[in-house]
Amino acid sequence: MKQPEVVTEARKLPAFFRRDLLTALSYRTAFVLDWGNLLVQLFLFSLIGRLVDPATLEGTGSSSYIEFTAVGIALAGFMQLAMGRATASVREEQLMGTLESVLLTPTRPITFTLGSVTYDLIYIPIRTVIFLTIASVIFDLGFTAAGIAGVMVILFSFIPFVWGLGMVAAGLTLTIRKASVIGGLVGLGLTLGSNTYFPIEVLPAWLQPIARANPLTVSLDAARLVLTGEGWGPVWSAVQPILPLAVVALALGVVVLHLSLARERSKGTLGQY
Amino acid sequence: MTTTAAITIEGVSRSFGSKLALDDVDVTVFPGEIHALLGPNGAGKTTLIRVIVGSVKPTKGSVAVMGVPWSDLSKPSSRTLFGLVAASDRSAYHRLSGLENLMFFGRLYGLSKREARRRALEVLAQVGLEDAANVRTGVYSHGMQKRLTMARAMLMEPPVLLVDEATHDLDPAGARRVREMLRRAADQGAAILWATQRVDEIRDTADSVTVLDRGRVKFTGTVDLLARSFDRHRYRLELATPVDPDSFNGSSLASRLEPLAHSDGYLLTLPDGVSLGQAIIALSQDGLDVTACRLERSDVEDAFLELTTEVDR
Repeated sequence: MKQPEVVTEARKLPAFFRRDLLTALSYRTAFVLDWGNLLVQLFLFSLIGRLVDPATLEGTGSSSYIEFTAVGIALAGFMQLAMGRATASVREEQLMGTLESVLLTPTRPITFTLGSVTYDLIYIPIRTVIFLTIASVIFDLGFTAAGIAGVMVILFSFIPFVWGLGMVAAGLTLTIRKASVIGGLVGLGLTLGSNTYFPIEVLPAWLQPIARANPLTVSLDAARLVLTGEGWGPVWSAVQPILPLAVVALALGVVVLHLSLARERSKGTLGQY
Repeated sequence: MTTTAAITIEGVSRSFGSKLALDDVDVTVFPGEIHALLGPNGAGKTTLIRVIVGSVKPTKGSVAVMGVPWSDLSKPSSRTLFGLVAASDRSAYHRLSGLENLMFFGRLYGLSKREARRRALEVLAQVGLEDAANVRTGVYSHGMQKRLTMARAMLMEPPVLLVDEATHDLDPAGARRVREMLRRAADQGAAILWATQRVDEIRDTADSVTVLDRGRVKFTGTVDLLARSFDRHRYRLELATPVDPDSFNGSSLASRLEPLAHSDGYLLTLPDGVSLGQAIIALSQDGLDVTACRLERSDVEDAFLELTTEVDR
């Protein structure tokens, strides 16, 4: 019996995961450097934290700057990595010459973009949890083990939003080639216009309303509260505003990707880099 | 050979801006046939292949693969109709082994993991890469990478193989191996469109040929017909005594002798309307004693150059 197409396409995702896992394992140095970078950031912010009066963090759920910023590094890192990978994977496939070969298989473009980030969408949440655990142990942060589950729920509700933006960036990369910088800029903008490294109140007054609506801010607020034992209430209040934004981002991503592919086919430049 | 064409291209044109890359091109390839698409750089060979696989939209004309029109060729359901051997080596994941590369693509074609592995091992053996199955493709030689590309194209046993410059930068042994693989695939019923600029290799490999130059079809037919169409009646002569053709009057037939570079012989191209007998008598009257004479077969290369350099001549 013929399987529904969605099942056929979903069955291809493990192949992408395996491909990227094997590739990641073949780059052991990069793997070590990534963790080194995370720990250096943590150390850097612990030093900055000595200059910050904990009173300025009142209402954020964090009792110290390192506690505040450790969550920021984890979630913003997740978003930036996932978005960066969506564009980088398309660009890498263009440069390696595999893009056209993959698109010549009976694989939907949407499967290709999801497949390209499947490994990261699985690895990065695990990396986030490990990172938060290490930070908690080293700096004796007040995170609760039960809060980790809440953070995972927030992360998974955040994934479609990030994936949608990633597809937009991937579509632009197909067309503009070196557009990965656009994905990086969007990620940087979302990070700076949020409470990743400092409370929103520090931002200029005109930027604060925008920053409050930023899904990253919403996620971070909830994650900080849930990690310090506030229960599941913050999780649900974060998921509700993120989901509609995720739907919009996904729809936009699908449209941009299909338009980009149609344009490249029409121009005959799909395989060019 | 059956009468139903595997690839039908009729009146296809494609322009990029003001440049006409393909101009009213017709090509038909049947199952079991190796059809060479012969042309110099920039002739439009790769563009035509990219049109067939659905990556480039034709400006006009029609394309069908196994009866499926171009508009449906980019649909996932049509993707198993053809395998593409791209000109570039850069089409494998260099951090993965040959086996893992093929398994990945097999999964994208909808095979289960077990089936993808079985099929990958089969095609790796077919192209002689079974011993390198678990070696990273990044360390494959040029020829091995090309064979891996062939293996990927044959992974799903497609009825149509599109081969773009598969041998142009391989050593003679590697090129021969690729040609043998193409022949085997054709013998098993695949229709093969083989874009190449290596004139020398089509004689013994291709069944038919289309010569493409600046996007236009200059010839379509069998390789033998291509060679015979441009037979310029050339003969290889040996003379009792060496002569200098330049010492003869320009109207004399002896002035048309071309000394051969690596032998003592001469090449004579007969003018229109002059028979070999008349030529030998004329040479004898000029004091030349012809000791041996044989037909110098017109080469496919001559025909190709005749067809593709007419503007330059």
